[in-house]
Amino acid sequence: MNDFSDSLSLSSSGLRAQSQRLRHLSENIANSDTPGYRRKTVAFETVINGDTPGAVETGRVRLDKAELEQIYDPSHPMADESGNYDGSNVELVIEIADAREAQRSYEANLKMFDQARQMSSSLMDLLRR
Amino acid sequence: MFEKLQIFQMAHAMAQHAGARQSVLARNIANADTPGYVARDIAPFAESYGSISDFAQRATRSGHISDNAGGFAVKARAAAAGATDPNGNSVALEQEMLKAVDAKRQHDRALAIYKSSLTVLRAATGRR
Repeated sequence: MNDFSDSLSLSSSGLRAQSQRLRHLSENIANSDTPGYRRKTVAFETVINGDTPGAVETGRVRLDKAELEQIYDPSHPMADESGNYDGSNVELVIEIADAREAQRSYEANLKMFDQARQMSSSLMDLLRR
Repeated sequence: MFEKLQIFQMAHAMAQHAGARQSVLARNIANADTPGYVARDIAPFAESYGSISDFAQRATRSGHISDNAGGFAVKARAAAAGATDPNGNSVALEQEMLKAVDAKRQHDRALAIYKSSLTVLRAATGRR
């Protein structure tokens, strides 16, 4: 029984981490045209101590240090002397690919959650007769 | 057959093994995107059943799962190394899903064995 509750909480930690990741991705995509926006990235870490060792959690949110895109538009209020202003460093293709990966992992976690639940309920059926 | 009811013990150990494996696989899948995580697995039931000898296994770390009463001992170990991601993660989702289906089938099989032995036992004692 302990194994089942362990796997349920492990899977739900995975679900939580992946949805957090998706949240930051959609934040990036929403701000892809915001001047001066740096894309946020979040790293996953394994919990070593805690209720369920081995669960996953999201680490600190970091800003991508890549160069900001220079956009030439002399009429823009933020343009400098050369007529350029800082765009964001969000690459839509990367964000979409990352979102796909997050979705895939989310589904896998959901599947494991469902399976652990099925296994424990079939165990309970033994008692029911 | 019914002196020691060994078949129940075996079905119990099998279901327990499947549950332990499910938990290890859930951990792998939860950490499918964690940098540096190494996928783990436990020995198949056929290998670990009856592996318990005169001296019981000692759990020296929290990662060691052992249940000597159930007639088998499981220990999480690194899974056979497949391709590793550039960030050091060795979890392959497809492979893990396959193993998870295996664990589920093993669990169902163990419960079916338990159930049908119970029916035989009930028939033998004359109750329905």
